[in-house]
Amino acid sequence: MAKVVAGVEQLKSACGDSIVELSPVQGTPRIRIQKENVPVVAHYLHTHPSLRGALSLLWAVDHRPREARYELCYLFTLAEHKDWLLLCTDLQDDDRLFRSITPHIHAAKWYEREIRDMFGLIPVGHPDMRRLVRHEHWPKGSHPLKKDFRWDTVLQRAQGEYAFRQIEGEGVFEVPVGPIHAGIIEPGHFRFSVAGEPIMQLEVRHFWKHRGVEKLFEQQRLREAVPLSERVSGDTTVGHSLAYCQAVETLMQIDVPRRARYLRSLFLELERLYNHLGDVGAICNDTAYALPHAHCGRLKERIMQLNDRLTGSRFLRGVNLVGGVGIDLTQEQLTEVVTELDSIEPDFTELEKILFANASLTDRLETTGILTERTAWDHAAMGVVGRASAIDRDLRRDHPFAAYDELSPKVALYRYGDVRSRMRVRLDEIHESIRLIRDIKRQIPQGPVLTPPTGVPAPGTWAFSAVEGWRGEILYVVMAGEAGQVHRCKVRDPSFVNWPAIQWAVIGNIVPDFPLINKSFNLSYAGNDL
Amino acid sequence: MFRIIKKSLRTGVVTGRHPKAEPSKGPVSPEATEKTKPFRRSLTIREVDTGSCNACEMEMNALANPVYDVERFGVHIAASPRHADALVVTGPVTVNMERALKDVYKQTPDPKIVIALGDCAINCGMFKGSYAVTGPVDRHIPVDVRIHGCPPRPIEILKALADIREKQQPSGK
Repeated sequence: MAKVVAGVEQLKSACGDSIVELSPVQGTPRIRIQKENVPVVAHYLHTHPSLRGALSLLWAVDHRPREARYELCYLFTLAEHKDWLLLCTDLQDDDRLFRSITPHIHAAKWYEREIRDMFGLIPVGHPDMRRLVRHEHWPKGSHPLKKDFRWDTVLQRAQGEYAFRQIEGEGVFEVPVGPIHAGIIEPGHFRFSVAGEPIMQLEVRHFWKHRGVEKLFEQQRLREAVPLSERVSGDTTVGHSLAYCQAVETLMQIDVPRRARYLRSLFLELERLYNHLGDVGAICNDTAYALPHAHCGRLKERIMQLNDRLTGSRFLRGVNLVGGVGIDLTQEQLTEVVTELDSIEPDFTELEKILFANASLTDRLETTGILTERTAWDHAAMGVVGRASAIDRDLRRDHPFAAYDELSPKVALYRYGDVRSRMRVRLDEIHESIRLIRDIKRQIPQGPVLTPPTGVPAPGTWAFSAVEGWRGEILYVVMAGEAGQVHRCKVRDPSFVNWPAIQWAVIGNIVPDFPLINKSFNLSYAGNDL
Repeated sequence: MFRIIKKSLRTGVVTGRHPKAEPSKGPVSPEATEKTKPFRRSLTIREVDTGSCNACEMEMNALANPVYDVERFGVHIAASPRHADALVVTGPVTVNMERALKDVYKQTPDPKIVIALGDCAINCGMFKGSYAVTGPVDRHIPVDVRIHGCPPRPIEILKALADIREKQQPSGK
């Protein structure tokens, strides 16, 4: 905290004229500036060597009907201080133009296109003004998150075609893939430009499964929207619902009991475990090495059956509630968890030895799909993908939530950024998760697991929360409306940030390696499309 | 090499190590059984996601793991709708996926059956009414079999697949 104050002082002395107001939210400095000055201040934050701010989140709020203004908020993570810093600016009345920061900060690219689609606000100077969320057949002027757009509008079908970036020249071919793929996976479109085998360019076109999640949140009451957050991305049920619950708890000033915090960490680690186990197997399977896939599928199934026995849901649904957890575990159940993991860990270690001894597997994984540290930094890549490219960031250590302040997790970090590094991050995290769960069982205190929420927060107040899910940082911003309704809920799955990065990781690789690289990222389509 | 053999021997057979299936939530209609007759011995499935939260996909993938091993019941997953006997559709049909779903249906050769997997595919679930959702699967293509659940467990999917084909039921431990 003291460090970030120093950062703010530095910013004040450098761009003091442009700062309108300085006030903290949840211990995070919030700086309000004129909208004309946003690119200058953001650029300073991003590039100054003693600040090195990475854009973590950019979101907009329509304040109508209470106030006739839009608000844009830029959440930065200062790499040198490992702390948050928030820039805010207003667009009054009918003002729909704001200055794009994408020319300075690459990570803002998709956020600004998203804001343009969802709110109809125009990022002036943005290098890519094509539609992102709204496909071309959406009618003109349909901006779903504006308050005068009804949530149950029936959209008419318009005409239009998406213009892919094209490379022209002798022997250059385009390979379109999707939206429906060959495996059992979610829909998305990939457009490769190739000359021979190597990929010259990949363009990812997503948002096929856009379901209007953020607008649906606005139809819910604050304390009742947890089931919706569980269905943002099914494989991250605990991560998303935990992030939502934490934001609402901050907003309603609820103190979550210690035992509930420990149980939340336990469930989050179980989720990390079954997903990482599945991913390790799937990466091997994409090199046509079926044996580890079968073993990992078996181990993953054991954890999912364990989940089912503990909570009645293989995906741990219904675990998180606003104010705590809905399911308390007995001492016998905790022992059952640890016993199960005690038998899974040596089983998995054996498998690991088989993997590392296989030279042809290593040959496929090493130097494939390299995401350099620089590119990862420019995209503000995070989670497993970031940590495989030397981005040393893990919210469990840097901004402890749930019970992580008492658990001290170790962070897996690799530098090379290839498929093998991403797999090794997962292997390390599997062992670390098992260790954390053992610690949780040892340290968990007795007591209640739920503080029933009371009262309603004042309209217009908001809170954000961050959770290190198994893919990476999940961010939620929740703003209260009238009578306990949700006014705005911004959902950010790490996939939204890491998808653009994959476009750079594949360049120069051969097309048959793309499934492997894609699997090593293993991003969510549902969490990205919302 | 010896390490691999040792591991396989030590692991043994895990197929069938799952909880027993509960009784089906809805009886299978006689029409669906009639339509499935050509596929009693083998059924090739193409899975189409039209906007699910990806939990249903995970459970479909789990069917192929050694514990459930769906291939022992003659069920295969095809890479293209042109090779499929059945479409398994998950999720509410989003505005952006509507056309793709209709295309896939057209490209699947007759005779074919359509299975709506999960509550979202059957009645849109939590996403009902949203501007970005056009409706459940049966608004766009005819649905023969419905498998309820959010998401349905793999054993429930296995059981439903056995039910419509009047096959031997998968047993649990």
